[in-house]
Amino acid sequence: MAPWWSGVLAMSDAPTLTPAALLRRSLRRHRRSLAIGYPLIVTWQLCETLVPVVIGFVVDHSIRTGRVSDLLEALPALVLLFLVLAFAYRFGSRFVERSTETEAHRLRLEIAGHVLHPRGARADLLPGEIQSLATSDADLVPTVFRQLGYTIASLTAIVVVAAYLLAVDVVIGLLVLLGVPAVLALIQVVSPLVARRTAAQQERTASATGLAADLVQGLRPLKGIGGEDVALRRYRAASRTASDATIGLARSWGYLGGLTAALSTALLAAVTLVAGTAAVEGRITLGELVAIVGLTQFLAEPIGALGDLSAQFAGSRAAAGRIAAFLATPRLVADGDDVPATGTSTLALADVVVGPVRGLSLTTRDGELLAVVVDDPAVGDTLLSVLAGERVVESGVAVLGGADLSRLDLAARRATLTVAPHHTTISEGTLRSVVDPDGSLSEGALAAVLRASAAQDVVDLHRDGLERRVRAEGTSLSGGQRQRLALARALAVDAPVLVLHDPTSAVDAVTEQVVADGVAGLRRRAGRTTVVLTSSPALLQAADRVVVVRDGRAAAEGRHADLLADAAYREAVLR
Amino acid sequence: MTGPTRELLPVASGRDAVRRSWSLLRSHVGWLAVTVVAFLVAGIAGLVPVLMIGRVVDAAASGGDRSDVVTAVVGIVVAGLVAAVATGLSTASLARAVAPALASLREAVLERALHLPTARVEAAGVGDVVSRVGDDVRQVTESLDEAVPATVSSAVTLVFTVGGLFTLDWRLGLAGLLAAPSYLLAVRWYVPRSAPLYRDERQAQGERADALVTGVQGASTVRAFGREDDAVGRIEQTSAAALAVTLRVFTLFTRFGFRMNMSELVGMAAVLIAGFWTVRSGAGTVGEATAAALFFHRLFNPIGALLFLFDTVQAAGAATARLVGVADLPAPRTDRIDPGTAPDLTLTGVRHAYEAGREVLAPLDLTVPAGQVVAVVGATGAGKTTLGSIAAAALRPSGGVVRLGGHDLHAIDEAEARRHVALVSQEVHVFAGTVRDNLLLADAEATDDDLRAALTTVLATAWVDALPSGLDTVVGDHGHPLTSPQAQQMALARVVLADPRVVVLDEATAEAGSSGARDLERAALRALAGRSAVVIAHRLTQARDADVVVVLHDGVVVETGRHDDLVAREGRYAALWRAWSAEGGRA
Repeated sequence: MAPWWSGVLAMSDAPTLTPAALLRRSLRRHRRSLAIGYPLIVTWQLCETLVPVVIGFVVDHSIRTGRVSDLLEALPALVLLFLVLAFAYRFGSRFVERSTETEAHRLRLEIAGHVLHPRGARADLLPGEIQSLATSDADLVPTVFRQLGYTIASLTAIVVVAAYLLAVDVVIGLLVLLGVPAVLALIQVVSPLVARRTAAQQERTASATGLAADLVQGLRPLKGIGGEDVALRRYRAASRTASDATIGLARSWGYLGGLTAALSTALLAAVTLVAGTAAVEGRITLGELVAIVGLTQFLAEPIGALGDLSAQFAGSRAAAGRIAAFLATPRLVADGDDVPATGTSTLALADVVVGPVRGLSLTTRDGELLAVVVDDPAVGDTLLSVLAGERVVESGVAVLGGADLSRLDLAARRATLTVAPHHTTISEGTLRSVVDPDGSLSEGALAAVLRASAAQDVVDLHRDGLERRVRAEGTSLSGGQRQRLALARALAVDAPVLVLHDPTSAVDAVTEQVVADGVAGLRRRAGRTTVVLTSSPALLQAADRVVVVRDGRAAAEGRHADLLADAAYREAVLR
Repeated sequence: MTGPTRELLPVASGRDAVRRSWSLLRSHVGWLAVTVVAFLVAGIAGLVPVLMIGRVVDAAASGGDRSDVVTAVVGIVVAGLVAAVATGLSTASLARAVAPALASLREAVLERALHLPTARVEAAGVGDVVSRVGDDVRQVTESLDEAVPATVSSAVTLVFTVGGLFTLDWRLGLAGLLAAPSYLLAVRWYVPRSAPLYRDERQAQGERADALVTGVQGASTVRAFGREDDAVGRIEQTSAAALAVTLRVFTLFTRFGFRMNMSELVGMAAVLIAGFWTVRSGAGTVGEATAAALFFHRLFNPIGALLFLFDTVQAAGAATARLVGVADLPAPRTDRIDPGTAPDLTLTGVRHAYEAGREVLAPLDLTVPAGQVVAVVGATGAGKTTLGSIAAAALRPSGGVVRLGGHDLHAIDEAEARRHVALVSQEVHVFAGTVRDNLLLADAEATDDDLRAALTTVLATAWVDALPSGLDTVVGDHGHPLTSPQAQQMALARVVLADPRVVVLDEATAEAGSSGARDLERAALRALAGRSAVVIAHRLTQARDADVVVVLHDGVVVETGRHDDLVAREGRYAALWRAWSAEGGRA
């Protein structure tokens, strides 16, 4: 079976970035700040490297001579070194950190901007998974800034150490210069294992978090049948899998850590052997010996950092890959620059075939209330997604004011057509902000909208009236109250063409009648076109025209009162 | 910004967080012991090279020969191998102790969250729960991964190195200790400043999580009404707020780092000066002075790690407190009741007010005899949902008692009550996973035959069989989209599988939309067969088929009786019925 979205053109604003390209882009965006931060970090690392050299200098030039004046000459070098070191780290790390956190913030907004793009995103991810993309993955990607900074700093330190050692003794210098790359190469044997396990750990952790989010979102239905325990068992299994993956990852870090420790000690042993021999044979001074072994001992640090680096980089790269893939998911709504002919807002479908819709034709007349009755909910869902521009017809034509619905300019679409979703998400705020988020309606217009949607009752119910606080998802309201507020929200837009889907399914029959009369009256007075998908007799009666869709095509058309003569119609709409 | 309507879930005190963490870790005490021993061994083995280098220096200074160097190098190699094995082992065993403990903690958090009253979780926001089991666990994991190895190995190195310093010469040891006051001052400066910032950071990240979850969930509504700027704006605002706190934390941290560097300078200078005097006075050798300086140099990292521990402990502590806050909520009671095979559901003197003085339900008595269907009708806002929630023990009434077969439903755990009284509301949610996953939530032990039987009961076999992989088709956001009626049919199939004595249907067919509602009503009737039911419906066909109809108006029962009698009575119900059954315009 073909996927349900077959027939939709793949479309995305952004060209697909490779993970590396995404990382490069992140680096480019912060090149200025990093250009200041990195030299400071390198300076800091160099100063840290020089500490053993300065110790050796103090030993050679004052402790061995025993002259106080020598000590007083040597100590300022130490003080200066530490001051440079401390300031370089303090400010260098701030530049890098600021870039890192700012980039995570930017990536987070890109992800949010993609999923909340005016043309939507066709991403098959759960809200919890997008959450983990926008938090842990967005945080992981810019850690490459730190990784890169410390790589440059560590490499510089190693080069400086090698240069110093070469100057002191060619053999020891070469030993370090060749030994360090050899150690790093050997460490790379374990790195891919760490990278693989990192990816597995991240994936399992994200899926456990996604599962938790899904369960909490479905809390009411879940608790309704007492499914908490089964749900918990399921989460526990996911949580254990994630925990096992974490242990597996730690084991691979253990191999890496052990190997790094062994190899750096081996290098230290080799250097100590050569330098110690040279010192006992008098070829190098005591101070040089101290500096050489001190430096080699210190090298364990940058070597360790470099050893961990490729594994850490793999983590960032995997996160970059996930983010890049998400940002490349196609848009839900097609893009184009067609605009409806001026002054027209006629919605017309001709022989439209898509999914369960099998050759549907219908045309609105300006200013009318057109009701559409469908026999199959899937046909209704499909029709709405075609009107919203989220599905492209397989054959036939779907136009708004003569312009193809799948090639409409976004602004023009929004100026002309509002397709109100059946399940309208109510955002946190007040009753007023739910209905009129911009506060752009006059008191009169707001009152008219509330009256037409029978939502005035909801307002009157509470002493705070329109200023009553509403929770996200309107969970503090009843279903019928939510539905009337959602309808008020749709009417408040005052779109030239408004499409509603079962706007009265959650209200009682008396309220339904009020809504039907209210919606028809308000829209007609404004001369606006309204399409309502419904089988509510009250709404059908209020409509200027009813189109009956059976088996995916228009089967009958007329006024409700006339259509009632048809037995099949009566069967479809009467209760 | 967002605060006023949100009541976040509790955060534990530091003491409770520590107690809970320890009790979780204690069950993995074996691995914890292995970890500590491995770190001890690694720490001690790590000191050997320094001592050996000191011997090489001495050999060079006092005319030793090559064999001294070789002996020292052998020591370095052996110690290095031991340290390597111990290091690897310590990292792996630490995860074995910590990862399962954290997994238990996040499972406990979700368990408590799922057992909390729905309204409590909704008041906190989905993001609050999700950010705890997600972000906070990640924070603790990262912190522990860094902190525990750093702490143990640093402590070992510190103790042995300072010991080493004193062994070389007590004067050198004392000189090293001169740095201690400076370090302590740095910590005393830092901790009180950073602790509140870390709390702010966790809270800001929770707000951010909430903005993300609600924004993503509401995407289609946002798109329909062109409110992208609002939704993205809120995410931007909360993310920027979290960013600002994080940067403040880091700036403070670098100032702390600066103070630490200065402490290192003080210590290093003191050791070198002391070395100078001991050598000059003939009390020590150049090799000893050198070893002391190298010893102290080696302390930079461990001391840094130990002091940064304050930082990590605070970051992890703030996250742990948020986890424990939820995990420490009272455990659900486990008492079971046996209401018998044919229990009556009785509501006695039940009344309710969501806020004092505004009663939405006046005291009422209602009996649902075993096997009967009671329909509750009335205008929207009449209190029907409140009544349904109370009857299903999902909402504790302000007064009155609900009994099933004589057992007080509000005296037992909600989940246990729900085994006997199921509640299907109009919220449609398709759980992530396959059709089978969705159904097994009601009865994990159900066989495929049970599942098929349940689907047949709710008339869903046809479309489930038509799915690409039948029961194994992934549905919902992730996979094959279901229509609202299909999603509710699954909800009804779950009721059949859960097999409760009583079912409360609260507008369960409403979200289906008109074209699907009638099929769904038939499915609901079949699912209710052999059970008692409270059916809340504005679709009066459901009232017509009920044994008793109760009409609510402004929280008061105004009429009770059979459909036919009520229609004949020409009261409120008759008016509703006329509006309902009107063919439109003829009412």
